[in-house]
Amino acid sequence: MRIFKSWRYPASWKFFRLDDRLLLMLMAVIVGLCSGLAALALNRSLIAMFDWVHQYHHIWWSFVLPAIGAALSSLFLEKIVVEGAGHGVPEVIYSVSRYGGLLRFRSSYSRLISSCLTIGSGGSAGPEAPVVMSGAAIGSNIAKYFSLNDRQRVTLVGCGAAGAISSIFNAPIAGMVFSIEVILGEWKSVNIIPIAIASVAGAEISRILQGNQIIFSHLQFNINLLDIFSCLGLAILTAVASIMLTRMLRSMYGISNKISAPIWVRAAAGGCAVGIIGLFLPVVLGEGYHAVQTMIGGTFSQGLALVALASLAKIVATSLTLGWGGSGGIFAPCLVIGSLVGLTYHQCLILFWPSISWVNEGYFALLGMAGLISGMLQAPLTGIFLIVEITGGYEVILPLIIVSAISTSLCHYIEPASFYLKELVERGHLLRPGTDARVLSDLDVREVIEENCITLKQNMLLRDFINIIKISPRNYFPVEDEKTDNFLGIIHLDDIRPYLFNPDMYDVVILGQIMDTQVDVVHPDDDLSEVLRKMDTHHLFSMPVVSNNKFIGLISKASILDQYRKELVVQTSQ
Amino acid sequence: MKLTIHEIAQSLYLPLGTVRRWIRQGRIPIHKNGSDFVFNEAILSKWASAHNLAFAPPKKGPEKQQDPELENLFSAIKRGGVFYDVKGDDVASTLKVAVENINVLNNHSKENLYQRLLERENLTSTGIGKGVAIPHPRSFLSDADYRPFITTCFLEKPIEFAALDNKPVFVMFILLCPSVKSHLHLLSRLAFCIRDDSFVDFLKTFPSSDKLLLKIADFEEQLDRTDQY
Repeated sequence: MRIFKSWRYPASWKFFRLDDRLLLMLMAVIVGLCSGLAALALNRSLIAMFDWVHQYHHIWWSFVLPAIGAALSSLFLEKIVVEGAGHGVPEVIYSVSRYGGLLRFRSSYSRLISSCLTIGSGGSAGPEAPVVMSGAAIGSNIAKYFSLNDRQRVTLVGCGAAGAISSIFNAPIAGMVFSIEVILGEWKSVNIIPIAIASVAGAEISRILQGNQIIFSHLQFNINLLDIFSCLGLAILTAVASIMLTRMLRSMYGISNKISAPIWVRAAAGGCAVGIIGLFLPVVLGEGYHAVQTMIGGTFSQGLALVALASLAKIVATSLTLGWGGSGGIFAPCLVIGSLVGLTYHQCLILFWPSISWVNEGYFALLGMAGLISGMLQAPLTGIFLIVEITGGYEVILPLIIVSAISTSLCHYIEPASFYLKELVERGHLLRPGTDARVLSDLDVREVIEENCITLKQNMLLRDFINIIKISPRNYFPVEDEKTDNFLGIIHLDDIRPYLFNPDMYDVVILGQIMDTQVDVVHPDDDLSEVLRKMDTHHLFSMPVVSNNKFIGLISKASILDQYRKELVVQTSQ
Repeated sequence: MKLTIHEIAQSLYLPLGTVRRWIRQGRIPIHKNGSDFVFNEAILSKWASAHNLAFAPPKKGPEKQQDPELENLFSAIKRGGVFYDVKGDDVASTLKVAVENINVLNNHSKENLYQRLLERENLTSTGIGKGVAIPHPRSFLSDADYRPFITTCFLEKPIEFAALDNKPVFVMFILLCPSVKSHLHLLSRLAFCIRDDSFVDFLKTFPSSDKLLLKIADFEEQLDRTDQY
């Protein structure tokens, strides 16, 4: 009976209490399956919706279809589920670092529906970030249901993200690497093992339901040394494209925010623009996996000018869709842009060196995808493993690594924060495990406060104060008002030391005259990093903590260091 | 083992908020079960030492004894004893005789103490004026287990002690303490008494040990009053 009652609290079973690894593995399987199913659901409904919308494509007003989809999706997000626009990955990363991976239950389906509307109607966006968000939310809510603690919940959030990516791409290693590299930012075996298990579970459910297929199968490449060298140029080109996409997305976002129309009107306007581009270049519409397949297969027969134009158009269309309020991720657009850039590069090579027999164009499309993914995410491992797995192309691993590495480094040089992290970095919300910012954000002013202080009254004589100094180990003495007990100021022993040994002053000076009233105070809810910055700029060693005009305690660098070190040790050694 | 979270925080010497947060975040091997906090003491203690934290669970049974209270002059003087007509012509011989009188110490310690007292006198005189000297060693004796004491020696005839005011010394308080803290404590109390001229005048009457102790108790009461505020 007790076991029956406590099934929702598996962490309290004696079997799991001593070491929770087994528990996490078990949970990882559940989370991986659930998030894998969510990813498949989005994939299937996207296909269905695309087919349904496709029948209207020959009508002259078909360009408003993406507008309708984008408007509906932003209305849904804003009015029904009340969640912010965007792809949701930064929210997941922030939640992992700040709130122990707490995510709302509705996040597990909201992005699925909204991105389905946006992408299915033709908006240029990808379904991956939405499934990552929803997988993460599933993981978080399963952890909440079973009352797991923050560390376990964070792992399950990672499991959800990994399961979703693995399932949608049928790529377990990419899912695992993405989750650890981008979402958690922490390579530790306690995380890696459950996440790997969730990845496999997610990929397996996708294989059962959809068959074990490699998404972008390609021809065999005969790569010679020249082809490997030629990828250097491609790496630079993909880095440029990544930077363009990042900048374009942000500027579109900025422009759209300046317009005072409701968000769904803006989304509709963006969708409309995408629809118009789509009239001339249908390759930009939707997630574009079909286009990627033809490019990798080497059957995308377009001229240099058209391919180059298409890459630019896709960049613009993606920025219009996502920047103006549509919902979706950048994974799929990256793959499309990457392969378009790869093709452009290939056509350029042929143009300049027609005599050399270059390898099949699919090779460059593949490398282009890796370059763009790595550049945008600044996660080289994710780029490499994703491309290897979705194309089944192990023979290109060497140029793949070269392109990924160069593209990541170049992009990092120009844009230090990746697309997912840029917002967080700007708001100071990027708190990777084991960093100074993370330790400080976890510590609370209340935890470093020293409360055993003797408070003085404003009208106390210096003589009485001398007696207090005798028994107090401190150098700082807060002064309060007699009647209201409000904090008035502080006396620092260093400031009055010369007068302490002058008995003539003992009965003429009252503390109200010698206290320092222009003192910086700390509020118990203040951010500790802010407090430390104040201490550094004003060369303070100790500050009073005051709430509601009442003195609560002192905070000093010594006590902060003491607590900081304990926190750092505990956070980094698991 | 079940403890309240307050007890856990106390045994880890951490703020309550930190322990709460660590449990919530799953950083510490303590499991929350309803309102109880369950943990395995061996595991927690191992965890604490691996993370450079102190862990001292509250002991069952009698509390560990606190540091003994600082002793007062009264008991120290009583323990050290009061001696009259201590003979001697100079500092060294007087100290020699005085140290022989101290019955708290064994012979070896006495010799040791005598050497140290001389050493201290050679640095600067402990004659603090008004005919009073407070001989004491520079560092406390390490080879004897003892509690603080003050041995009062009224001299047979005043001797030249190279005191601050060059007055011959007629009474010595030999002060010996096992720690710096008690040394300072007793020294400052003794100095407080001697600062008062009426006390010195009282000493000049060579009072009996009972009278002396009464007077000391009287002064200490004054001291305790002024210390409170």
